[in-house]
Amino acid sequence: MTAVLPWVTLVVCLAVTVARIPSALRGENRVVFYIFSLISLSIFISIEAPYLVLDGWLGGMNVGNLILRFLLYTTFFLMGIKIATAFGSPSAVRAIRGPVGLTVAAIVAVLTVYFFVITDTQGSSAGMSGLTWGPSLEAYAFMGRFYPGFVAACLVPAIWRTVVSAAPVLLRVASGLLLLGLCLLLLSQLFPLIPFSEAWLRVLINYSAAMSTCIGLAGIWFSKAYSRRKRRLSA
Amino acid sequence: MPLQSKAFQRWLHGVAPDASTADVCRIAGIKRTTLAQQLVRGKVAESTLVSISRGFHVNPVEALSTFDLYAELRGAPVPPTACELVSQIATIDLLRAVVERSEPGSAPAGNLSEPPHPTSVRNWVDAIDDGELRHRVSDTTGIAPQNFSAHLTANRLPPELAIATSRAAGVGPAGGLVAGGLITEAEAGWPANARQEALDNMSQSALVTLAGERLLALGKTLRRQEQDHERTERIWENLG
Repeated sequence: MTAVLPWVTLVVCLAVTVARIPSALRGENRVVFYIFSLISLSIFISIEAPYLVLDGWLGGMNVGNLILRFLLYTTFFLMGIKIATAFGSPSAVRAIRGPVGLTVAAIVAVLTVYFFVITDTQGSSAGMSGLTWGPSLEAYAFMGRFYPGFVAACLVPAIWRTVVSAAPVLLRVASGLLLLGLCLLLLSQLFPLIPFSEAWLRVLINYSAAMSTCIGLAGIWFSKAYSRRKRRLSA
Repeated sequence: MPLQSKAFQRWLHGVAPDASTADVCRIAGIKRTTLAQQLVRGKVAESTLVSISRGFHVNPVEALSTFDLYAELRGAPVPPTACELVSQIATIDLLRAVVERSEPGSAPAGNLSEPPHPTSVRNWVDAIDDGELRHRVSDTTGIAPQNFSAHLTANRLPPELAIATSRAAGVGPAGGLVAGGLITEAEAGWPANARQEALDNMSQSALVTLAGERLLALGKTLRRQEQDHERTERIWENLG
């Protein structure tokens, strides 16, 4: 199942991205379109087959993985600001885009590059799972999990308030899915506790997180379209 | 807890011995699947019983009273108190009455709309509350105070809770069923003009104060709705 899950996630994200093209062309919420594109691209190059091809072009020393990390940082930065604004949490917007958030992002970026450079990363392998794992590679992986987790932690309270509010049911369900995705990212901070033999669990958590975040975001969009249509019909 | 399906079927047999289930549903205007589902689960909703009673021209209150849970409804109906009657007048009708009394003849006099109105349940409970009512209800029924409040906010009152509430307040057992919309005021045995008379008997000051309280509560509800609406719109504007 963990071999199929990444592809399924990719298909779902791509479908949502394609579905957003018309509204992006009309100029409605282009950032959301960029977010979906970035998520799709990140998932695409995180899957083994495409990753090996891409990394082959880049010299086979897992620079592809470094690029993937930065794609994810960008995605979470944009997504964090957008979601925090949407869910009406100025404190979360400040935490992500303000001095604290930018400092965190800069430190994570610098340390990511630093740990990558000091590690021997020869030999392409998706998720760098084929390399010998030492402290520097652990630290590199930690950085990759930490920033999305940081953004997720900033967003959870505001989304929770909407899930338990009196908002339309579809919107609450979609927000719940988004919340689930973000909580899985928080859970992924515990990855070092998972033994290597149970690596499938990490794959499951990572892609489930991506999938439910994506479906949740798409669901919010759908709930809007649904409510507008219902209002038009009743008018 | 709604009615046991065994007892319900016994009752149904007494009311309509020859009617098939399909007939019963057609006459009562309920969905066959709904009734079938309730029978299978072993619990028939009171509203189903009321619809069937009306279909077969049986007084719903008498029908309900044949079940042990609603034994209090047996006998002659207890007349409602003036407070209960006024609580079942819609806010807009109260406001019309205020206008009519201040400037007679300026507004077209209409009939009071039938209960329940949008805040029937809360107004009824407030009308019979001596300050300790909610405590007593949650003590006797075991319902958590916040769940009771949630019912009031949603303007619904499960029939069993309605009975327990009227018992705890010492008023007639049918009032809560009217406020909850299960039965009409006529079915509860309220005289046709009772609400209008109770309204006419109110002093100007009492009427204006009550209308003011209703408006204040309405304003709070509307503000909350507007805030919820704004929150939803902001999410859609940013992510939709």
